[in-house]
Amino acid sequence: MKTGFSVFLVAFVALGASWFGLVYAPLHQLGIEKQTAILQSGDTWPPQRTGDATLGLDVYREYGCAACHTRQVRQTGVANQLELISLGQHQAADFKDFLKSLMVVPELNSFSNTLCGPLAQWDGRLPVTLYFGPDDTVIAALVEKLKPLGIKTDARVVATGADISRGWGLRQSVAADYLYDQPVELGSLRAGPDLTAIGAREPDLNWQLQHLYAPRSVVADSSMPAFRFLFEVRPISGRPAPEALTLKAEFAPPAGMEVVPTPEARRLAVYLLSLKTGAPLYEAPYTPATAAK
Amino acid sequence: MNDESKSTRPAPDQEPQVTRSTAPMWIIVATLALLFFGGLYLDSHSGWFNDRVYAPYDSAEKLEAFQPKSGAGAAAQGKRIYEAVCGICHGNDGAGKPGQAPPLAGSEWVLAKGVNRLAHIPLEGVSGTLTVEGKEWNLNMAAMGAALSDADLAAVLAYVRTSWGNQAGEVSADDVKKVRDAIGGHPQAVTGDQLKSIPE
Amino acid sequence: MNQTDSNSAAVNEIDASCRVPLLALFGGAALWLVLGVALGIAAALSFHAPDMFANCPGLTYGHAQAAANDLLLYGFAIPAALGVVLWIFARLSRAPLALPMVPLAGANLWHLGVLLGTLGILLGHSTGYPWLEYPRPAAVLLFAAFLLVAISAAATLGFRADRELYPSHWFLFSALLWFAWTYSTANLFLLSGHPPRGVAQAVIAWWFANNNLFVGLALFGIGIAFYFLPKFAGRPLAGSGYTLFAFLTLILFGAWCGIPQSAPVPAWLPATSAFAALLSFIPVLALSIVAWKTLFGSGFRLGGGPAGFILFGVLSFAASAFLYLAEACPRYSRGVDFTWFGFGVTQWQLLGFIGMILVGAIYEILPRTMAKPLPAPALARLSFYLFAIGILLYVIPLLIGGVEQGLKLRDFHVPFAAASAAALLFLRVSTTGQLLVLLGSLCLLLNVLIMTIQWKLGLLKTVIAAIKAPLVTGEVKS
Repeated sequence: MKTGFSVFLVAFVALGASWFGLVYAPLHQLGIEKQTAILQSGDTWPPQRTGDATLGLDVYREYGCAACHTRQVRQTGVANQLELISLGQHQAADFKDFLKSLMVVPELNSFSNTLCGPLAQWDGRLPVTLYFGPDDTVIAALVEKLKPLGIKTDARVVATGADISRGWGLRQSVAADYLYDQPVELGSLRAGPDLTAIGAREPDLNWQLQHLYAPRSVVADSSMPAFRFLFEVRPISGRPAPEALTLKAEFAPPAGMEVVPTPEARRLAVYLLSLKTGAPLYEAPYTPATAAK
Repeated sequence: MNDESKSTRPAPDQEPQVTRSTAPMWIIVATLALLFFGGLYLDSHSGWFNDRVYAPYDSAEKLEAFQPKSGAGAAAQGKRIYEAVCGICHGNDGAGKPGQAPPLAGSEWVLAKGVNRLAHIPLEGVSGTLTVEGKEWNLNMAAMGAALSDADLAAVLAYVRTSWGNQAGEVSADDVKKVRDAIGGHPQAVTGDQLKSIPE
Repeated sequence: MNQTDSNSAAVNEIDASCRVPLLALFGGAALWLVLGVALGIAAALSFHAPDMFANCPGLTYGHAQAAANDLLLYGFAIPAALGVVLWIFARLSRAPLALPMVPLAGANLWHLGVLLGTLGILLGHSTGYPWLEYPRPAAVLLFAAFLLVAISAAATLGFRADRELYPSHWFLFSALLWFAWTYSTANLFLLSGHPPRGVAQAVIAWWFANNNLFVGLALFGIGIAFYFLPKFAGRPLAGSGYTLFAFLTLILFGAWCGIPQSAPVPAWLPATSAFAALLSFIPVLALSIVAWKTLFGSGFRLGGGPAGFILFGVLSFAASAFLYLAEACPRYSRGVDFTWFGFGVTQWQLLGFIGMILVGAIYEILPRTMAKPLPAPALARLSFYLFAIGILLYVIPLLIGGVEQGLKLRDFHVPFAAASAAALLFLRVSTTGQLLVLLGSLCLLLNVLIMTIQWKLGLLKTVIAAIKAPLVTGEVKS
């Protein structure tokens, strides 16, 4: 390239293309306000946060919690699951033989391993998983055969992945989850566990506060730094304050002192409690749990 | 620093030069090959820029296939939509209202074995005379179910067929989809006679 | 003294014209480098002694690490790179630096912005976006300062006698455009009063991070390396065709990388980034081939001099770019996502690649512009080994520890605490690497500081001599 102008032009076009594809297009696709409908429910997602929780999100940003914690759940696959709920008037032993007899059905015989293998050791207790895999024609064929016999089954769609198996969520995080976050802090390092559903895993406000003041008092092998500056250690005047933390002996303040959370600590804890499991959405489906289960 | 070997230093006044050459063929071929394979990858994994397709779903069809189709949630959904859309005229108890809408409880159109004929009613609407449970109704119904998704309308029909003493079979989203496809692009309100000629 | 004596007067004049702005840029950069590495060590201490900063909100991990990262990028890498760009443009134009006071003002504004930004982060006003944590006032200062320096660079480029452009021109000129556009866009969208809702913010932040840490630093670093490599090798840069092809593919494909494969965004974004990363292997390969062809068989020696720094930097570029692009492969990313691996790759890019190239360039350029030899060449030579060993000790355990952590995270039978603990031993080794890097950067700071003091004393002597000089009686025409 001979002139400075041609270098500028080439660079402009290259960066402009990337700007168009990775800034402009996503802004239009993702940056507009939109609530999503939750599957099989009249509600929308995400729920609005309370005032304290929104202030707590600002505390989360202020202390850089996203440096060690992520707020996103990954999913590596999805599976259809067929569970046997009730055998009606049949016996478990008859059922196993009956399943074997179904193997001549074309949609089912290639799944003989999945269907019959684990059931060989089945002790008759319900519910039991009949099939867990990506193919839904198997489930349709099975249900068609079992329904007329009065055998009740439950077909569910289940998200799979390491994060989900760890109990960090029931589905992957999608754009809709972050609609009301300002700023959106996904995190890039898991020095500590993922926090997407921490409010569902540890729903106790006092646990969250104790964890902030002295992480090793509630999680023995935690490497999280203590955030004692979020708390006030003050002498007990008269009666202990109702919001004072109860701590184990080695972490408790000296006698006559109590540990009281500052408003910042309270807001952060309320924010963490507001982080619940994601509801099933069209873009991240799973069969919602029902109250009866 | 100053006692670097003089052999690695050019004359200080000289600015660096570059030898003229063209890019070799093999690197251009390699780039084109990577472009091709990368394009294949994009085709199969990008969901074609659909804003609802997230990895690991490869396409919009795959995502649709994995939507949960039934479950107790669907029954509640059917009830909710029915009461919002249909119950105004047909009543939340399915008894209908004289001069407004025929009853659904015990209606032979609802209790038919198949769903094909029944699905035409919310998808196309009804005009003219229609006999329900021995009584004649001469009203107009708009296609109240045309705006609902297949899954939602199936949930409503399933709810109607299993409530208020009705005990008919289930309705799946596929059944509704088949009827919708058969109707095509220009649904027109059916009359009672036309309905009778549609198979169940 | 040898080289400046044998240089022609014209070259000496060019070097002298860069003296003050470069001293401002390099001086601040050396100071921020020391501070950045020190804060990085303070951050790492949070893992070795978690209760150390329990009562000190300023140095909590979230603050210290963010401040350290930004100091390395904005405090050290970019101002030092800008200084080298100014000098290279002046030399290649065979004309003195145009508007020399403008980049001086820019340098001061820039360092003020970095100071404000760092204080802002430590006091809790971080914006929350990775690599964009400086609060708005600091960001505005940085952008304004950048424009001032870029104006002078563009003017110097425009005044060149020989209109033919050398490959370094392409890379460095594009680098100026790259930072200006990405920094202004990212800050305008994210730090304005109405940022976009939701995960679009994260997409913009990823776009910025990729275009600065990968493409931007590559443009700066390779441009600088391709200026010095032929000089040290004693022969021309090998292959204009290769270099042009590498430049074009780097800016075209490299700019689209950056969206992580696990991102909570529609599938087309990570798929596009994976596609771009696959193609970005080509420019990395081509640039490595050009460097190798230029150096191989030329009698180039590593030694402890600036040549060694530049070579180490180019090797680090190849290695860190390869690992960065490999992270975009969906299968591998599942193993190393959210582990220390990504952090290690970034530190390799910042310290191993651009850091080493810039330190080598400073050691090479500063004696020329100051017209004085380095005050402590032994320290400078020692710093090469401190940096080289320190960076490898810092980065490689992070990479291995990250992979270990990732393997354990994928297996949900392994409790989370075990996955974190797996990386802890590697973190301890990597902190010793950081200490070595800190010592090396202190050597650099010492050299720069002494040269600054010598220069200021020289100025002072000139002023005092002017005051003491006998008055010249003028001829009064009555």
